[in-house]
Amino acid sequence: MLYKVMDKNVYQDFIKALISNYEFIGPARKDRSVHDFVPIKNISELDTNYMRTTIPPAKKLLFYPTEKLVNYEVGKSIDVKPVVESKERILFGINAWDINGMNFLDELFTTDFIDENYISKRKNLMVIGMDSQPTETNFSPSMGADYAKSGFDIYLTELKDKYFIRIGTARGNEIIQKYAEVRNATAEDFKDYDKYLDDYRMKFKLNVDIKNFYDNFELIYNNEEFWKKVAKDCYSCGSCNLVCPTCFCFNIKDDMELNLKEGNKIREWDSCMIPEYGLVAGGHNFRPNKENRLKQRYRCKLKTFIDKFGKYSCVGCGRCIETCLAKINIAEDINSVKREVSV
Amino acid sequence: MSKPKVGVFGFTGCGGCQLEILNLEDQLLDLISAVDIVHFTEAITEHSDNYEIALVEGSVSTEHGVERIKKIGNIAKIIVAVGACAVSGGLNCLKNLYGTERAMELVYGDKKDWIDSIEVKPIDQYIKVDYYARGCPPNRFEIVDIVRSLIVGRKPEIPNYPVCVECKRNGNTCVYEFGMTCMGPVSRAGCNSRCPNSGSGCEACRGVIDDPNVNAQKDLLARYGLTVEDIMEGFNLYNACNKVPTVENKNN
Repeated sequence: MLYKVMDKNVYQDFIKALISNYEFIGPARKDRSVHDFVPIKNISELDTNYMRTTIPPAKKLLFYPTEKLVNYEVGKSIDVKPVVESKERILFGINAWDINGMNFLDELFTTDFIDENYISKRKNLMVIGMDSQPTETNFSPSMGADYAKSGFDIYLTELKDKYFIRIGTARGNEIIQKYAEVRNATAEDFKDYDKYLDDYRMKFKLNVDIKNFYDNFELIYNNEEFWKKVAKDCYSCGSCNLVCPTCFCFNIKDDMELNLKEGNKIREWDSCMIPEYGLVAGGHNFRPNKENRLKQRYRCKLKTFIDKFGKYSCVGCGRCIETCLAKINIAEDINSVKREVSV
Repeated sequence: MSKPKVGVFGFTGCGGCQLEILNLEDQLLDLISAVDIVHFTEAITEHSDNYEIALVEGSVSTEHGVERIKKIGNIAKIIVAVGACAVSGGLNCLKNLYGTERAMELVYGDKKDWIDSIEVKPIDQYIKVDYYARGCPPNRFEIVDIVRSLIVGRKPEIPNYPVCVECKRNGNTCVYEFGMTCMGPVSRAGCNSRCPNSGSGCEACRGVIDDPNVNAQKDLLARYGLTVEDIMEGFNLYNACNKVPTVENKNN
């Protein structure tokens, strides 16, 4: 990690240089209270002072909601060609928990099987992180995701009259050297940064008692009454999965042209909360009830990947809490597991 | 392999579903080279009673319609109901809420006896329907998918999950956040969340999913100051012929 400092008055020139030299994706205001990461052509469109985006930016750019995987032609033989899209882009203004979510997807899509469609886009994505203000449903400090240790090329932190810059990769260093006027960070700068981090953490209001969850979950696992209560109002609409920075499940569909000679295999975001997810040939459904499905989702988020990668697949961003029309709240439910067990 | 013969038929409705097929533009030539269209009310003058697949739009609302739909049912091996009117009766079912007599009086006054009109029903009340291309209008690409699936002998993939899935894939902000209401959480997807994409709530034109959480929808609408009657009205626009899932005792 390299530490640099940039004066505030050169920030605009730095951004303008990036916008004119790269395909630049950054936060822009979408609706009253929601932002979205979109291609930015002019610095005036950029609004880094955001709280919420419906869909996590990295997931949207690296793992498309629908994506062609292969193209095939049926002649004397079947000719199958992979469709891999990738171009150099800058993702600017992504916050720490969303970077941590992306780090999870990076690991997921390169473990056991290398997902070319994901990783070719990821290699070409330069990530410039920046803190954003947490919503009241955000519990990322409880999940250890309010600070990004890796996954970014550059991380900018806005202090009073300067930006404290963490440079995570050689690629990030090249960009800084080429487009920004910076100096080395001094002891004074580190002290200001330390104070900033302490103040920033105070902005997260929601605390989740996750510490013993891994083991406590076993005790609650077969408590049908508990899960029925928790899942009572679930619509099985899948919104919680689709807005999650780490949910990666997808379905593959065959899209054959009407000429019956060629077609594509297409993947689209799937959701473990919809009844068809657990349905197999012959009509058996492994998870026929909404309480089975919600329990499985919590296990996947908070236990499965502790076993597999040593980390949660929940970064505490709070999107699922905001999006759930039935008011199902993972933070509250983690705390109720603790309460049930400690009675 | 000879091309399957297809008939496209219209019953009571606005005719927009047939228009959706004609709107396929980019795929229309491929469609007519993949199948042999022997009847298409809105598009061709030729007619033949020799067809294997019938695409039927519109609901049945006249005695003459009952005869016609039964004949189609006898001829075709595979029946596809196209659009809300054929699938669930659609908007036409609103007539049933008045009763045929009263509706006839309201619309035709003293000339009501000139008109052949009976209680509106979706086509599966008269014949067995194999596949449903839901929606008002139906998704034309889904109609293509059904036809293509029939040709290659595969089951068409028709979503049975709520509109929210497609709405989130499209990155929309939930319309409830703008103080609007939406039937999306209990309504069938397949439309690519057409209405929320343009900022309005879903009106359940594709009907409700198999296992809707009606209680949750009731609580949700109550938070927005609406009642059970409002919910029923929400369903009624396109689903008045259907038995709408009733609100169970909340404690169940």
